[in-house]
Amino acid sequence: MILALGLSILFALIVGITAARNKRAEAVILPLLDIFQSIPILGFFPFVIGGIVGVIPGEIGINVAVIVLIFTSMSWNIAFGVYEAVKAIPQDYSDLLNVTNTSAWQRMKAIYIPASLSRIAYNTQTSWAVGLFFLVASEIISLGTSTVKVSYGIGIAVEQFSSSTPFDYANYALLIAGLISAVVIWRFVFLREFALWSEKYKMMEEPRERHRDPIMRIYSWVNQRSVSKLFLLTQGRGVTRFTSALAKFRKGVKYAVLIFLGMFLVLIIITIMNSGSFSLQNLPSVSTIAADETSVLYALGASFIRVWYVFAICAAIGGPLGIVISLNFRLYDTVSPILEVISSIPAPILLPAIVLIPVFGHTPEAVAALIIMLSIIWYIIFNVMAGVRTLPADIKDLPHVFNTGRKSAWRNVYIPGAITGFVTGSITAIGGAWNALIIAEYFTVTDKFGNTTVLTQVPAGIGKTIVIATNSGDLLTLALAVISMTILIVTFNLTVWRRVYHYATKRYTYNR
Amino acid sequence: MPENREQLVTGSPIVTVDHVSLNYHNEKEPLPVLADVSLTAGKDELVAVTGPSGCGKSTLLRIIGGLSKATAGTVKIADSEVTGPRSEITMVFQNFVLLPWRTSLENVLFGLSSRKDLSIAQKREKAEKALEETGLMGFENVYPGELSGGMKQRVGVARALATDPEVMLMDEPFSSLDDLTAERLRKEIYALLINPFTSVKTVIMVSHNVEEIIELADKAVVLSQRPAHVVGELTIDLPRPRNKKSPEFFTWVDKVYSLLS
Repeated sequence: MILALGLSILFALIVGITAARNKRAEAVILPLLDIFQSIPILGFFPFVIGGIVGVIPGEIGINVAVIVLIFTSMSWNIAFGVYEAVKAIPQDYSDLLNVTNTSAWQRMKAIYIPASLSRIAYNTQTSWAVGLFFLVASEIISLGTSTVKVSYGIGIAVEQFSSSTPFDYANYALLIAGLISAVVIWRFVFLREFALWSEKYKMMEEPRERHRDPIMRIYSWVNQRSVSKLFLLTQGRGVTRFTSALAKFRKGVKYAVLIFLGMFLVLIIITIMNSGSFSLQNLPSVSTIAADETSVLYALGASFIRVWYVFAICAAIGGPLGIVISLNFRLYDTVSPILEVISSIPAPILLPAIVLIPVFGHTPEAVAALIIMLSIIWYIIFNVMAGVRTLPADIKDLPHVFNTGRKSAWRNVYIPGAITGFVTGSITAIGGAWNALIIAEYFTVTDKFGNTTVLTQVPAGIGKTIVIATNSGDLLTLALAVISMTILIVTFNLTVWRRVYHYATKRYTYNR
Repeated sequence: MPENREQLVTGSPIVTVDHVSLNYHNEKEPLPVLADVSLTAGKDELVAVTGPSGCGKSTLLRIIGGLSKATAGTVKIADSEVTGPRSEITMVFQNFVLLPWRTSLENVLFGLSSRKDLSIAQKREKAEKALEETGLMGFENVYPGELSGGMKQRVGVARALATDPEVMLMDEPFSSLDDLTAERLRKEIYALLINPFTSVKTVIMVSHNVEEIIELADKAVVLSQRPAHVVGELTIDLPRPRNKKSPEFFTWVDKVYSLLS
């Protein structure tokens, strides 16, 4: 996991800085990042795992595949952060660099990397939660017929405990408690420290965050020495020298993304070759494809409706909640660290427990909705909170100055002020929902003896289709499902979301 | 509102700031910001509050407006104590603070949200009148992003005026405008605020521009470094319109400067 995070940050620095400094690279990289961020990576996982295991067999191969998946899930977000941070460096600084005739490497070290650090730190917190979700999910998903599986991991443990009869409460609870404490320690000791450390590198124009976080305070005295020292070490030569070597290949970097894309294709082909079921002699007939595609489209339709109604619920709860929390300082200080912890518990591990609740046990639709909700509502809440928090204090005072009353204040100030954050959060949330479907719609557990029990399944859904196709090794349906889903999501993003986003940022961004 | 006005005895102050102190509560010890500040603003007066930057001028203005609470002391309008934001007090901000997602007209209408006694048509009429007075006819449906700084501040003034305020608080209203724009706007806004036909009874303006103060103010209250206390109160009795090139003008400018340093 940490390896994947390190790779992601490195990748993000290279791609982000290249995109921000080079117009031509920007034109290539941005749309690609956009697409990668929005496609459900989990759907591609069976191909990735198959491909990598085909090259590196055994346990190592699977672990490499898991790392690749987590890396893929985390890096886009961080890369976007770096891109935006470097883009936001005031023109004066670039002028300074040009005037003083600084070398490319000096520029990296002096300006670009320091300027990106606070965004990396911030986005890492989100990416970490996403990565954890994928970690659990990827361990649970196994490529059906072939017996590839990671031997140890949270995901595997969840599966074992929940498949044993009677349900292994004690261990399951222990596992969740352990995970929560791991999350708390990681977030508040390590990521926080990283975030604090990176604050030094903020451009002076940005307001500095105030550290009133109660949990932060408890930890601050503990790690004032130890962890900071660790960072001082990494801050030194080692890390930066490594990136300098890579910086020399800046011109070639834009092709790296294309190569990466190509790798995906190669992986798919390798998987198909390995499976042996595909050969030139028994290519599937057009009618088989058509029949398969019809059922895929039906499932896709069902999932589309599911994604949107769950999103609507999340928006209705998360939007107002985010506004209320961020308008009240005291509430914000106490609630936001708690929300952060809850949000980084990956929803899939809760599924076995949710199913035990009678109401949910009999309605798979509710289970699916709840799992999706728990996976995505945070994006909306946190982005809305960030939006409202960054509104200047005097605009939040306006309703008081003019005694406007609550209704007018919400309609004219709070809701419009939250819209940009809400839209950003929604785009991520919808993307997350498509990923969560793969766990939420159909969930099976296999016990030690190889007996598989279906814990929950909805009547129809693309997530279910993908999992069943994966388990039975039905590569045709799998490919059709993944491709159809990707096309739907990418088209939707390009046509609908892009316009909504442009309108929102144009009209609802606060500038004096 | 007109009844209220008649009740007021001419000569008695409209706004009374009485021994106001403010401490910020830091973790360790209270940090004094304002120390025993008193001032009054009378009928048709423009009172300028000035002092070194960061001394707490804007904080004082927020306390007068009921937006912040003082640690000790009171603020009174006529004879009633200000305990929270009130409809007869309004404010014009340094950075305009317009809603970027609303047109100029909607921004002015937003200021009228509290007026339950007016119909939507009446509010609209009022808002349009305020925009006309501030010279924004024809810009009703333009978003703030498309307006220049000077015009944004005109919207800010229109929004404040439309509410029929008695007390107008202005927090460095001209300091984020360029000199030429500020020069013109100063004259226009003074004429809008202090005249026999307006609801505005008194104006308190925070400023760090000494010439601006001598040009506009009837009274200048000079504050010290933090914790701010009043180091001097000058009644500027220069006849209007004031000639910025006259020797008397410079004498006054010097007087304020000597108090500031």
